[in-house]
Amino acid sequence: MQGTVLVVDDSAMMRKVVLRVLKMADVEFESTLEAGDGNQALELLRGNQVALIMCDINMPGMSGLQLLQQMQQEKLAVGVPIVMVTTENSEPQVRQAILAGARGYIRKPFTVDHIKNNVRPLLTG
Amino acid sequence: MLDSNAVLNSYRVQDFLSAENLDRADATVVEIFKMMFGFEVEVDADSTLGPSREPNERTAIVGFSGAMRGSCQIRIGLQAAQSIASAMLGGAPVEETSDSVNDALGELCNMLAGGWKNGIPGLSSECALSPPTVISGRDYMVHVSKPSVKLTRIYCFSGHTLHLTLCCEGVDTSRD
Repeated sequence: MQGTVLVVDDSAMMRKVVLRVLKMADVEFESTLEAGDGNQALELLRGNQVALIMCDINMPGMSGLQLLQQMQQEKLAVGVPIVMVTTENSEPQVRQAILAGARGYIRKPFTVDHIKNNVRPLLTG
Repeated sequence: MLDSNAVLNSYRVQDFLSAENLDRADATVVEIFKMMFGFEVEVDADSTLGPSREPNERTAIVGFSGAMRGSCQIRIGLQAAQSIASAMLGGAPVEETSDSVNDALGELCNMLAGGWKNGIPGLSSECALSPPTVISGRDYMVHVSKPSVKLTRIYCFSGHTLHLTLCCEGVDTSRD
């Protein structure tokens, strides 16, 4: 797939897992970017075009929701599909994420099928 | 007299200690190990394995706050932690000194805590998780607010054991 995927998660292990499962689901990009927190992600987005963002919600410092709000303010990655990846399952958080620009939501633990069903349609639609 | 912490915790002791809750914990562990690592898990329901004797242990802790205050703790040997880290990376070997070992254990604890509480209607939206903390070794003590209640469970996977403790703090035990 053309373009770059940005994976935002404070766990380096989980960033690798997300990239591995994306590949297994045939959602492989030309290049990848990784950020360990919201601030790092903002820095990367100010200097790079991305085609997909996979973002954790519960991160120390700037949370995933705060990152989305800041991206909206700065008009970064406008129109780029953003998928939240988290253990949290609460409706208010999902609502907040959607309001802040997220297009999808995947709960950990996730499978290849979850990625196929929830991420691929966002890229082809 | 009611402990002042009790008013902070709206999750009831009898619910926490229910058989359904144990089943939920078992189902969460089985699901996560199968989905994320490809390991089959057996529950040591009678705790026949007893306390762990491995000196080089790791413990991961994730806190609960909100409708329930407490923690989810997992204890596991270093080799088992390496197996989990390796499985998360698709089978790539992981050195025992690698940061990936602690990272994987923290993520596992996070998923177990989240999976367990997400299955409980009163906690799913009303209880938040802290980022995980990982401890090396056995010479430590976790201090909790009293009164508190605990659920402990031992699981076996791929020749290793995992000790799970769910702790509910600041509960009103006098009413139950």
